Amino acid sequence: MKFRGGHNLLLQGRPDGMIKLMPEPDVLYLPLRSRRFSFAELCVEEGQQVNGGDVLARDLDNYSVPLLAPRAGRVFLNEQEGHIVLKDVARHAGHADIEDEDLPHIAQEMGASGIKRYRLLTLGAWQFFYDAYSGELPDPLGRPQAIIVSTLSLEPFLARGDAQLHNRLLNFTRGLEQLQSLLEYQPIYLVMPDIKSEFANLIRNHIRGYASVKMLEIPLTYPYDDFSILVRRLGLKRSEGPVWSVRTEGVLAVDRALTLSKPSLVRIISIGGTGIKNPTHISVMPGYPIQRIRDKYIFEPVSRIINGGILTGEQLGPDSLGLDTECRGLTVLPELQEREFLGFIRPGWDRSSYAACFLSSLRDKFRERLSTGLHGEGRPCVSCNFCEDVCPAGITPHLIHKYLYRDLIEEVEQARVDLCIECGLCSYVCPSKIDLRSQIIDSKALIAQEKEEIRKEQLRQEELRKQEEARKQAEENIE
Amino acid sequence: MKGLLKIIDALRPTFDEGGKLGILKPVFGALEHFFFAPSDTTLGAPHIRDPIDLKRLMSMVIISVVPCALAALYFFGWRFLAMVVVSYASGLAVEALFAMVRKEGINEGFFVTGILFPLILPPGTPLWMVGLGVAFGVFIGKELFGGTGRNVFNPALVGRCFLALAYPKAMSAGYMKPSHDLLGCLLFKWLPSGSGVDAVTVATPLSSAKGGEIGSTAHLLLGSVAGSAGETSAILIIFGGVFLLLTRVANWRTVVSTLGSFIVLTSALLIGGTISYERMPGVFGPVMWHLFAGGLLFGTFFMATDPVTGPTTNCGKWMYGIIIGSVTVLIRHFTGYVEGVTFAILLGNITAPILDEIVFKVRFRRLAGEE
Repeated sequence: MKFRGGHNLLLQGRPDGMIKLMPEPDVLYLPLRSRRFSFAELCVEEGQQVNGGDVLARDLDNYSVPLLAPRAGRVFLNEQEGHIVLKDVARHAGHADIEDEDLPHIAQEMGASGIKRYRLLTLGAWQFFYDAYSGELPDPLGRPQAIIVSTLSLEPFLARGDAQLHNRLLNFTRGLEQLQSLLEYQPIYLVMPDIKSEFANLIRNHIRGYASVKMLEIPLTYPYDDFSILVRRLGLKRSEGPVWSVRTEGVLAVDRALTLSKPSLVRIISIGGTGIKNPTHISVMPGYPIQRIRDKYIFEPVSRIINGGILTGEQLGPDSLGLDTECRGLTVLPELQEREFLGFIRPGWDRSSYAACFLSSLRDKFRERLSTGLHGEGRPCVSCNFCEDVCPAGITPHLIHKYLYRDLIEEVEQARVDLCIECGLCSYVCPSKIDLRSQIIDSKALIAQEKEEIRKEQLRQEELRKQEEARKQAEENIE
Repeated sequence: MKGLLKIIDALRPTFDEGGKLGILKPVFGALEHFFFAPSDTTLGAPHIRDPIDLKRLMSMVIISVVPCALAALYFFGWRFLAMVVVSYASGLAVEALFAMVRKEGINEGFFVTGILFPLILPPGTPLWMVGLGVAFGVFIGKELFGGTGRNVFNPALVGRCFLALAYPKAMSAGYMKPSHDLLGCLLFKWLPSGSGVDAVTVATPLSSAKGGEIGSTAHLLLGSVAGSAGETSAILIIFGGVFLLLTRVANWRTVVSTLGSFIVLTSALLIGGTISYERMPGVFGPVMWHLFAGGLLFGTFFMATDPVTGPTTNCGKWMYGIIIGSVTVLIRHFTGYVEGVTFAILLGNITAPILDEIVFKVRFRRLAGEE
């Protein structure tokens, strides 16, 4: 496969391959919002006792994806804004399964594969699936043209597939077989860093005869593991149906849900970044109090905690108390506070840059210690074209920036701003410190809104026309 | 350093909006940020930024022309230093004035123009003309278009073009013989020995070539010929230029296409017999001579590669270079001018937006099919 653009950031604080257990919490703070979901429909009452695996809330806009209770405990709804608080937390075997009386009804409606899909949804495995084109949650009852399984996470620093797969290869291959059973003859693409490795051969031997998996080798450059990039490079057409995409974790959750009928309540997330003492992976449940992780791992007093990776994650404010259900990793960066004396003429032995303007380009690749500093003042665009060079989607960020400056929305649309995958590399390399990523995201939203308005207007006019016709018809009838 | 920061912090209110010297805020800001990088942090994703900034990017250009500037000192005396000082002072005044009117920061772009401008002038140019030229270039060539990043023409070339058209005699009288001493003019000589400002006009290699007389290529390579202050030593220009290419500040496509088209077209003219030199038969020799003569190398490496005034797309850069290279050949051999690089690059600047437009049109059409 041919890729374009991309750039690897080498930073200090890469998590090691270990998985550490965190102590069981007494209280869980389950956020009602995450990147894709908003669990607005509450299914429990204040003070109710729940078991691990019970449904606490649902997101009705996203095929009723459930928010499962990771542990048994007592529910408090109004204690913290935007959170469901679970107190007196105790470890109990999860029991959630489809109620027996529901089964015949579902089987009648959706068939055998329908039951499996229903199980994925109710046991919390479905939330690991993404639509490769839009990044949204796909329809669980839809018919995908392919499934992309990625074992990679190239953004620093998200949970690594190899760490999550540790000792669980069997579960992974069983999960792949389960995925295959959801399909008719559509292919599964398995994205790996090295398809000739022993590990890849092991997977091949395991699934031989059970699943038709095509292995794809992709270079380890950020953000080639992005699903919308992969789907474009694979040449899959949107008109031929959705493409489901899922990461290692999702396959393991599928295995758990379909083979063992158990919900996936614990996740393996990474904690990394310059502000972490021992960057590693931890095994935690959603709702785990951030303060406890903070006490144990974070050593920088003034630091920024990011939910997700360095380039696309969201900053966690003081009002977010627990991990959300979609968290793939926490990244901690020290906040820049000091002003550097004559910063721009320093040799820069320890700073690496996309432009080879520092002395560090003479040395081997190294992991750099970075903070949240902007490293310069905002300036007008000088058309250095760095942003276009790194853009993996093949669009021209600086041109879109200039169009936006002149309010040329139609041209922005023509420049295919919708192909942007929001990887953040353009903002990263910009020497003029223009926040291209957020400008592009804003313009995408603006265009979507305008399209929606146009569609509504068309519907309204259609309605009017129909009414007019009906009226004329009625008049004619009278005549 | 801490003390300096304290002084700056103490002075800031005076220069802030509403302060006593509020009008000088851009000047103060430029000085402050020269000494201390701002401590601004990112607001959202991406949470980290590349350490590169415009100051660093522009510093790279300045570093890459330092060898040429030293060569100018060596060959043409310390008067060149005075030209640099005048150029910076006059240009900065215009830049600061506009920054104050616009209430924006002073842009780093000027620091490049300020050093490039004296390098492309004849070493004997009167100092008042240096000041006038750079002020004209910055004012007409840059500020009127909206400042750094929005200018269509390279300001240094606009200034040079203005001087060449307004004072042709004084400009051509400014060429002088380079110093031939072992230490050159390094021992604080104001001008190379045997020349004064009112000395007899010296022919540059290209103007003698116009008459069919061609000199030695080795002299061009080293730089011991008459010419603009910084353009004579081909080897130092190539040295600095390659450095600039390696840092990714300048794009290699522009350089390769300019020099490539120049070589191809000149060879074609030589093979076709349109131009010929008695002293240097063959094709390879004269082509190399023309490549090293005049301002071609300097213009290609340091002027044509200016990202603001050139096309942004890679495809556009190829076409842009071909235009500059071939127009230079055409002006050198088929017009009354002896040197055509200035005009060729300015012409390239005019075409750059159109080239980009064409490339973007094609790209949009291709992207329209993508899902």
